[in-house]
Amino acid sequence: MTSLFADPLLWVLLVVLIAAVLAVTRARRTNVQLRASNNTLQGELTTARGQLTDLRARHSSESSRHASDLEEVRKDAESATKATLKSAVGTLATLAEEQLALLDELQQKYGDHRAFLADLMLVDHTGSQFSRRTKGISVLCGGWLGRRDRDASVYDVARSAQGRIRSFERVRIHSQANVAVSSRAVEPVAMVLAELLDNATKYSAPGSPVEINVQPVPTGICLIVDDAGLGMDQETKTRAASLLSSGGAVDITSLGDPPKFGFALSGKLAAHYGFHVSVDAVSPYGGVRAVIRVPESLLTAELPTPEPVALDTSHEDEEEDKPTPIASLVIGQTAGGLPKRRRRRGGAVTVVPSSPSEHGADDVNAETASRLKAFARGTALGRDSDNTEGPQNQ
Amino acid sequence: MSSPHEETPATSGFVRSYVITGGRTLPSEGELALHALVCLAPGRTLPPGASPEVRAIWDLCAGGYLSVAEVAGHLGLPVGVTRLLLSDLADQGHLLRRAEPPPAQGVPRPILEKVLHGLEALNIG
Repeated sequence: MTSLFADPLLWVLLVVLIAAVLAVTRARRTNVQLRASNNTLQGELTTARGQLTDLRARHSSESSRHASDLEEVRKDAESATKATLKSAVGTLATLAEEQLALLDELQQKYGDHRAFLADLMLVDHTGSQFSRRTKGISVLCGGWLGRRDRDASVYDVARSAQGRIRSFERVRIHSQANVAVSSRAVEPVAMVLAELLDNATKYSAPGSPVEINVQPVPTGICLIVDDAGLGMDQETKTRAASLLSSGGAVDITSLGDPPKFGFALSGKLAAHYGFHVSVDAVSPYGGVRAVIRVPESLLTAELPTPEPVALDTSHEDEEEDKPTPIASLVIGQTAGGLPKRRRRRGGAVTVVPSSPSEHGADDVNAETASRLKAFARGTALGRDSDNTEGPQNQ
Repeated sequence: MSSPHEETPATSGFVRSYVITGGRTLPSEGELALHALVCLAPGRTLPPGASPEVRAIWDLCAGGYLSVAEVAGHLGLPVGVTRLLLSDLADQGHLLRRAEPPPAQGVPRPILEKVLHGLEALNIG
């Protein structure tokens, strides 16, 4: 027995065993502790994750609210800018319109003085451009566009538009259609056409012609503007198309510096009055082909006397419907009790292909005649007895 | 855009005068004086593509001699603009011109009175 106890190997084994037991116990304890702390950490992680999700949600809601607030502020600023501009530019537009009316009078007044008239025409030209610009901005800001109270032939609409741009002498109008634009659409169509002409002349070589063609189509008429410029790149085309289809709902501060109002304005007017504008075609000369399509609803019947004295249209129909030469209408005007001057009713007047219409040129001219200052003077001085007018008396 | 009833009417001339002249130099006053007379030459046909103003002149002057001032008045255009259109037509041979008649000679008042009395004596109407 003692020999057993005396065996050193046994002791060694015992010591190793005890050490092993101790180690295992310790490891177990550590393991349990680690598990516990792992669980705690896991719990904390879940909480943290939950908080993170919360924070994310809050952040996104905050940022979306911020964005909407910003949008609102921007809209407010935009509408405030527009309101201010509308009122400020509206005043200018009214003044410009007044100035043009005044220039009309002055040109009548000094019409016989060549140098005065030529100078007045220069002022008139810049005034017309000024008027177009101010009206354009005013309209984009929700302001008014002066309304014409008479229908105008497509030819006159084209000429009116022509007069509103700088290089008007480069514009050629080829109008075959004897159609009139109804009074409501006269001014907007002329404005849009002027914008297109302005672009066409600006983005083509100086001196190259810009053409306006009028093309009847089944749904109305097309006013086609062709230039000989370089055309537009795809980006510009896309931008133009989006502005033209925007209906004018654009941020005016996004139109560049200097701002380009043309397409946005055209889009707004076209949407409001119900016609269509496109600039995506290529002209036969390689430049841009811009097209305004005016629907039938904005057109009226053919005009017999499209222009000049139509300014004085009266609505009385006291004259018989018989087509009377204009010349005969001045009969009976006298000055200072002198004998009345009469002129022959010339059959040759039928040279003009006049189409039947409810608006007699007679009334128009009768009205005009009665108002003419020049008339009495002309009558008094323009004739005397030896002027071989005898056979023409009625 | 304002609603229609808010729209102010545009009162200025729709087609501006420099467009009608095409921006060309105006003829001098002496070329066709205010009282010079114009009349359509016989047997002329309206040039194709004539502007509305030219057509109106054509109508006006077909009936006999008319003064430049009268034509301008009828067209509602400044005299200078009318003069340009008229001189175009005259250059193309469409228009006959006649110088303004000499101012009337001063007739003594007694003669005028005699004529007046004579007319009154006729007792027309």
